Amino acid sequence: MTALWPIAVITFKEGIRNRAVYGISIFALLLLGANLLISGMIMQEVGKVAVDMALSTISFAGLLLVLFIGINLMAKDLDKKTIYMVLSRPISRFQYILGKFLGMTLLILVTLSVLSIFAGLSILMVKMSYPGYFPRFSWSMVALAISFTTLMLILLSALSFLFASFASTSFITLVLTIITYIIGQSISDVKALVEAPQIVGIQVSPLTVKVVQIAYYIFPNLSLFDIKTQAAHGLAVSPSYIFWVASYGFIYTCIAIILAAIIFRRREFP
Amino acid sequence: MIRIEGISKEFKEGIGSRKVKALEHLTLDIHKGEVFGFLGPNGAGKSTAIKILINLISPDTGHASIMGKDVLDKDTRRHVGYLPENPYFYDYLTAEELLWFGGKASGLSSNVIKEKTGELLNKVNLHSARKRQLRTYSKGMVQRAGLALALIHDPEVAILDEPMSGLDPIGRKMVGDIILELKSQGKTVFFSSHILTDIERFCDRVGIIVGGRLRLVDKLNNLLASGNTLEDVFLKEVEKAGGGIEI
Amino acid sequence: MKRLLAVSLFCILLALHLFTLGRAAHQRKTLPKNEDYGYVMPSPILKITALEFDGLASDFLFLQALVFEGSTFERKERPRVKEWEYRWMYNTLSASTDLDPYFFDPYYFGNANLTWEGNLIRETNTMLDKGSRFRDWDWMLLFYIGFNNFYFLQENDKASEYLMEASKRPNSPSLLPTLAARLAYKAKKTENAIIFLDEILKKTEDEAIKKAYEKRLNALKGILFLERATAAYQDRFKRPPEKIDVLIAKGVINEIPQDPYGGEFYIDKDGSIKTTSELR
Repeated sequence: MTALWPIAVITFKEGIRNRAVYGISIFALLLLGANLLISGMIMQEVGKVAVDMALSTISFAGLLLVLFIGINLMAKDLDKKTIYMVLSRPISRFQYILGKFLGMTLLILVTLSVLSIFAGLSILMVKMSYPGYFPRFSWSMVALAISFTTLMLILLSALSFLFASFASTSFITLVLTIITYIIGQSISDVKALVEAPQIVGIQVSPLTVKVVQIAYYIFPNLSLFDIKTQAAHGLAVSPSYIFWVASYGFIYTCIAIILAAIIFRRREFP
Repeated sequence: MIRIEGISKEFKEGIGSRKVKALEHLTLDIHKGEVFGFLGPNGAGKSTAIKILINLISPDTGHASIMGKDVLDKDTRRHVGYLPENPYFYDYLTAEELLWFGGKASGLSSNVIKEKTGELLNKVNLHSARKRQLRTYSKGMVQRAGLALALIHDPEVAILDEPMSGLDPIGRKMVGDIILELKSQGKTVFFSSHILTDIERFCDRVGIIVGGRLRLVDKLNNLLASGNTLEDVFLKEVEKAGGGIEI
Repeated sequence: MKRLLAVSLFCILLALHLFTLGRAAHQRKTLPKNEDYGYVMPSPILKITALEFDGLASDFLFLQALVFEGSTFERKERPRVKEWEYRWMYNTLSASTDLDPYFFDPYYFGNANLTWEGNLIRETNTMLDKGSRFRDWDWMLLFYIGFNNFYFLQENDKASEYLMEASKRPNSPSLLPTLAARLAYKAKKTENAIIFLDEILKKTEDEAIKKAYEKRLNALKGILFLERATAAYQDRFKRPPEKIDVLIAKGVINEIPQDPYGGEFYIDKDGSIKTTSELR
């Protein structure tokens, strides 16, 4: 498996040197700077809003990274035939997929780490401006929330690999990944809604309920990885929660990558 | 060295309507140490045959092996260097990083890679551009970088798909010199081209393929023996195949 | 020649750009406008559309309500905020707390603004109740509910219950159980209200809200003063005073306190002290 490392390295380099990384970073920095402005408008729980802003910025920037750079890394190989340079080496299709995925994971880890530092500075700035208004603030909770977001993004990028393994263009991969993200984030809330629609005063057919329940098991439940509210209010997250959610993420990621590898084995490059 | 037996490949055109026969029962043997030229008009099936050898495409029937190993085995490619037609590389890598990748993925150690990289880049005259990103390269430079990548691991067999494409006369001489050098080292070179003068200059044997079928295989000297030019021979085969340019 | 033509054409286009923009914007103003403050999406739908950004959405909903309220301060007409606008504010704050029920500001702001003039007591209590279930380290929301029950709804028993609940939460002030006990007595309403408000005021930091509470407190102090004076008069002359002026005339008090809301204090038919401003 020594071939995995060189594939991962060139994938990482190709990703990190992409101009879009600068765009995303500048965008994130702007939002983090705006944190001071927005938080300043709050009356009491300034800390909660500062954390909300910082964590949301990281989530969004990470999402842009996966959607626009991550998908590019895999799909570009297929669109622009750069895959020849890699597959002509003595490596198997599985090693290729795994190597690229490792490179992608590395890209996510490095980018999010850098963004986290700026997010931390952003929160610190607000904290120093409004010191008495940070009830129940915890740096470790913030770090935990960022870690969970990272796991979610890694899972999402694994799914993007799965889609890229059979989609004919990178655009299709992009659309499928966006749809999966939206469904993944909302499926929990949608399930809650259709199981108790009377709150909103609408009626839902039993078929719809069944469809949603099935979708709940097929699509990744990404909202499990969202502990921003807990971090914002310094609420504890139990070790067993961390363990089970991380395991879920890990297993789902493995399934996605293995499926991607299987589909990819049969793919031809005329 | 390279053994192709009964390879056939059909492609579906469009939404499952028309089927195009890219290769029909191709059977060919390439001997060790020879330079073999694969000649044919555009769309004759040259690239398809080569891609089957690199396991980028799988044949509908038949099989192929290189150095006794089936092409489906990834280890076959440890000793094969491949240069695709119109190569594309990752934009943001440098030529140095590209060769590092090629070497590492083929199992070479860092020291060997360093040495060979310097040597190869000099040979293809990319030494001054070695730290520039590939997206800044001209077409000719990309082609030469691709050749370096194909040879970084000192393969026994070099499979080159239209290696002169996009090169100016200086570049073409460079590639030609490399092919001759490989031959003098006892390596096997299998390259495809539709440029007759290139075939004439380097090849020991020539195979002419038209419309997916191998029409003629012979030593170059034999083909030119009766006073014909290669062009005559080639055009005659094309005419025999129905004069068609079916792409 | 050609260049001159091109340049002048470009200048004409620029001028036309500014002109047409002005006209189009002016025309826009004449279009029927949609109601900015009409509808708030139901919370389950908001939760779905907010994806993983519930907390941020909650923050923005709160800011929406806050900014709206601020924008009404310049209004001259009375009432300053219309009834349906109060309703909109309530719906917005309620949605904000549905998205993040731990967020303190909407509860704090809602309680200060929706009860006195907005008259949405029960609704505010429902919202505060939800908050108290989530913010289990917080005594203030229960305290607010208690006050609302006491002052607006005249449900002293309920108020007492909530104050007792509040006293069980960490760091609650020690007077809570005592106050809960006092509420058992229906009498001394004004005095209890002052104690309540004093406590709330201690915890209030926002200047605007502080001023509002202080105004209220001063009005109540004035009423209490007059209530005590009336009781003293009753004591001395064995009958209730007919009018406020009588209290001065008979020397019970030296002057009538000012109603900070600009009204005049008077004695109602049932003997209680009221004011023409009705404290608004």
